[in-house]
This record gives sequence, C-alpha cells and structure tokens, in this order.
Amino acid sequence: MSQEKDGFAVVVEGLVKRYGRVVAVDGVSFRVGYGEVFGFLGPNGAGKTTTIHVLATLLRPDGGRVLVAGRDVVRDPVGVRRSIGVVFQDPSLDGELSGWENLYLHGRIYGLRGRVLEERIEEMLRFVELWEYRDRLVKHYSGGMRRRLEIARALLHRPRILFLDEPTLGLDPQTRAHIWDYIRKLRGEMGVTVFLTTHYMEEAEALCDRIAIIDHGKIIAEGTPDELKKMAGNDIVYLKIREAKPGVCGFFEDLVMECKELPGGRVALKVKDAVKALPRILLRARDRGLDVLEASYHRPSLNDVFLLLTGREIREEGPMDMIRAMVMSRRWRR
Amino acid sequence: MSEALDALIVMAYRQLKRFRRGRARLVSSVVNPIIWIVFFGLGWSNVFNFPMARAIFGGLDYLSFLTPGVVAMSVFTASFIGGITVIWDKQFGFLKEVLVAPAPRWATILGRIIGDSLIAVLQGLIILGLSFLVAHSLNPWGVPASMFYMLILSLAFTGVGVSLALKITSMEAFQMIISFLMLPLVFLSGAFYPLKYMPDWMKIIAYVNPLTYTVDGIRYWLTGVSTFNPLLDLAVLAGLAAIALVAAARLFSKTTLD
Ligand SMILES: Nc1ncnc2c1ncn2[C@@H]1O[C@H](COP(=O)(O)OP(=O)(O)OP(=O)(O)O)[C@@H](O)[C@H]1O
Ligand SMILES: [Mg+2]
Repeated sequence: MSQEKDGFAVVVEGLVKRYGRVVAVDGVSFRVGYGEVFGFLGPNGAGKTTTIHVLATLLRPDGGRVLVAGRDVVRDPVGVRRSIGVVFQDPSLDGELSGWENLYLHGRIYGLRGRVLEERIEEMLRFVELWEYRDRLVKHYSGGMRRRLEIARALLHRPRILFLDEPTLGLDPQTRAHIWDYIRKLRGEMGVTVFLTTHYMEEAEALCDRIAIIDHGKIIAEGTPDELKKMAGNDIVYLKIREAKPGVCGFFEDLVMECKELPGGRVALKVKDAVKALPRILLRARDRGLDVLEASYHRPSLNDVFLLLTGREIREEGPMDMIRAMVMSRRWRR
Repeated sequence: MSEALDALIVMAYRQLKRFRRGRARLVSSVVNPIIWIVFFGLGWSNVFNFPMARAIFGGLDYLSFLTPGVVAMSVFTASFIGGITVIWDKQFGFLKEVLVAPAPRWATILGRIIGDSLIAVLQGLIILGLSFLVAHSLNPWGVPASMFYMLILSLAFTGVGVSLALKITSMEAFQMIISFLMLPLVFLSGAFYPLKYMPDWMKIIAYVNPLTYTVDGIRYWLTGVSTFNPLLDLAVLAGLAAIALVAAARLFSKTTLD
C-alpha cells in the first residue's frame, strides 16, 4: 500500500484555501508521520480549523495537494474518511440522544453492529469515563463531558488518524488534564496518529512531538518543542543582590554564557539550563559574599518564539511577565 | 451495499427517536389540521347542509369531502417542515458528523428522509382517525391505499424540504419560504373546494400543484370521488418523489462546509 511506502499519515503541499477574498490558508506545507502527535499552534483566525476541515474532506482546497492516509482528499474523499476520526472545534453531537445512542448511531453509520459495536461503545465510554452517564441525554451533559464524548465517538471506529480541533478549548484545568491523559494514551496504547490544533502553548508543548506555528494562514516555524524554544534563546537567571557593586558579573564568568548588570542591583545571567545552573550560581554568590535577595529564572516558551517571529502574543495571558521577559531578552541582542 | 443500508436505517431510526423525545412537534403539527376540521369543516358543513350542496362536492357531505384534503395537507406540511431538521443539524453541528462519515451520502440523506416521512405519515394517520369520527362517508377499506399515497407524498415533500434546507443557511429564510409557499399550495389543491369551480388562472396553478394530485388520490380511495384517474395521481406523486429524492441525494453528495 502506498501509505506504508511513503510512511506519512498526512502530506500537505502548498495548501491554499480562500473564503471569497479572505485567504484563510496561504500555501501551507507539512508532513505528519504515522504514530506522531503533530500540533498546529496559532492565534485566533490563523487558519487552523480551515486546515482541519480540508484534511477531513469537508472543505475543498483552492490549491495544493493534500494526502491523508495516502489518499488524496479531493480525488478519494471516501478513502480518507474511512481512515480518520474528527473532533470538531464546535460541538457536533446530537443533544436529543443519550451518550450511548450518539455512539451507537456513529458506529452504525461506520458499518459496525451487534456485539462488536456494543463492546466498543462500552470500551470507549469507559475510556473517557462516561460509562455511568451513558443514558443521560447529551443536552444535559456538561461542556467537558461533551468534549470527552466527542473524543470517544471519534475513536469508536478505530481510525488510524485522529483530528482534534482545539480539544480543550474553554475547559477547566481538571478536565483539560483528563483530556491530555487520553491523548497521551492514544499514542502510547493505541498507536493512533494525532493531528491537533490549539492556541494553548502549554498544550502544544505537553502533547506534541512536533509543532507547526501558524499565523495568518502561513506556517512560520516548525519543529519539536525544544527546537522551537531554542529559537527564542537560552534560559535566563535573574538575581537581585543587596548593595550590588559594579563588576559582580566577573564572579560568574565560568558558570554562565553571558552576564549583564541591570539597574537596581539586578543581574541577568544567560545559561543553557537554568534549573541546573541556579544552585551553582547561588553557591558562588555566597562564596563571594554576595547577599542574594531574590532569584528567579525565565525559560523561553513557545510564546516567546511566536513573539519573536510576529511581534505579537499568541494569547493575552500574563502579558506583564512576557513583556518583561522580552525586554530582557531584547537587551541581549543589542 | 449492506453498509449503505445500515447507514440508511440508522439515520431513519435517529429521526424517529428524536421525534419520540420531542412530543411538542407532534402536538403542534396535529393541532393545526384539527382546527381546520373543527372550525372550518364543521362550520361550513352546516352551511352546505342542503340537498343541492352535495352535487357541488361530487355527492359527498362537506366533511367527507374536506377531511381527505386536510389529511393530505397535514402530511404535506409535516413533510415540508421536516426539512427544518436539516437546518437544525447544521446549526447544532451534527451535520458535520454525517458529512465526515465514509457512508455514502445518498444513504444517509435518504435514511433521514424516510424517517421524517414515516413521522409525517403517522401524523396524517392521526388526522385520518379523527376524520372518521366526524365525516360519515369515508371508506375504511381505502385506508391502506391512502396510506401509500401519503407515504409517497411525504417522501416527495420531505425531499423538497431537505433540498431547500441544504441550500438555505438561515432558519428565517426557510420559514419564509414555507409560509410563502405552503398556504397557497394548500388552497390551490382542491382540499377545501372542488377544482372545477376555480377561476381558470387558479385552475392552471392547481393543475401544476402536486398537492392537487395527492388530495385527489386520497379522496378517491376514501370516498370514491375524484377529478383524475387515481393512477395518474400516483404517477405524478411518484415522479415528483423520484425527482426530489435524487435532487436531495445529489445536493447532499456535493455538500461541503464552504
Ligand atoms: N465560513 C467562512 N467564511 C468566511 N471567512 C471565514 C470562514 N471561516 C473562517 N473564515 C476566516 O478564515 C480565517 C481562518 O479561520 P479559521 O477558523 O480557520 O481560524 P482558526 O485558526 O481555527 O481560529 P480559531 O482559533 O478562532 O478557531 C479567519 O480570518 C476567518 O475569519
Ligand atoms: Mg478554529
């Protein structure tokens, strides 16, 4: 089979999708290997959902080539549909039916029946911890329960590739942690290839083997979370020292990559790995008789990468911290 | 093929299941025809309570003339409105679940049309049952044949309703089309008064109105009175149903989220 031969679950080359004059996806190319968890990270309106809809055969591309499970989404949409499960960003359950009925309906549409179907329904409902609520009408489910049910439904027919569009959007931290668990298990125990979109960088970082950062319909960076974070530079340790004298940087020369004295008795030290460097730096400070009042460190996040590439935040969260960190890291570059 | 059949059956099952849960829809669609029979039918039946009047209605008392028409009307309305459920599904997102499934689209859409048609026929049967209470010349032996006409009628108009709903995005627009089309079609179907007394221009519309042939066919089987050959009625209905179902299947096959 061709998909085994070229070994990619998803191949996208130069994908373009327009809505009237709006170019929602503007020449996007990427590949996802089998068994990989691949994430699209980007702000609102970046084109994530549009891309997923094209991959899931629900939107016709205006340009480029898209293969999913080795099949062309335009020429063989049914072949693609057989290999995928999709959790859409917006709800797509039947609220008038129970959780169990929603899965039953799905199973029958996908050609499952009888004992096999019933066993799978139970297996999936237990997997997402909704077995107890199977007979409750979905319209009476909470947001988190619905999300979990959608995941269970998307997996019921055992797709090789699962698309998750913002799987934890608007959910409380506990439910989010649950869903992260499921996604990790998917890859680990079931060997499902996962393509997910998110605008939570922690989510992308926690789940994805590889991430593509997308903005205004274009991929602006791609790589493993570590590779991406390297783009934004190294860790920085901040110290606040009582009565700091000029020249304190000299004390740390052999421990850090770079050192800078800041106003107010503050010192910024650039290191490879802040967690390992910090104890040594503090020890050295004590040896040299420095009175350290505060110590903190900043690790570049995916948000820094985004900021670096676009000058904007992915999401307005803790903007003050980020701006401060950025001011600091900008200084390095001068 | 058996997979397509599975998808078809389960989609029909879904429509029935949802209908059972949402009783309000049944009540509202049954109440309207009852109002017609009681307040319109009983009222006029006293007006037409003289010997000459029967001649106007092909020898029937007015209620026996009217009720087959109201039965057809109730099935027609229920079917057409069945299309609304497609818009609901668009708005509540369930349509995407069906669109992304590998099952043939013709099967999933046909399944839901069949489901909605059965619901419409059920509503028609309720009205028919009530009609027997008030109209005296209805023939119980004609019920199975009428049911068959009702089924074809509802397949046709659920197909039309679904096709419209697939093209239309807003509920408001759909409701506008319904109110714009439905009452005139009902009045010009011969349900309330015989075709032959209509002005010529109205007659022309009545002749191209598919509902005319349903009313005529059902009236034939229940009372023996008709304007056309009941087989012609059936042929017109079946033709319309075939066109509407093919149209719905084609439209649904091409449906994307664009
Ligand atoms: N049906 C549509 N008609 C017109 N424009 C659209 C349509 N859907 C999306 N767009 C536009 O296309 C662009 C990409 O939208 P898309 O929904 O793919 O973004 P997204 O990355 O999923 O955003 P979000 O994080 O908000 O879900 C946006 O500018 C959006 O306004
Ligand atoms: Mg989106």
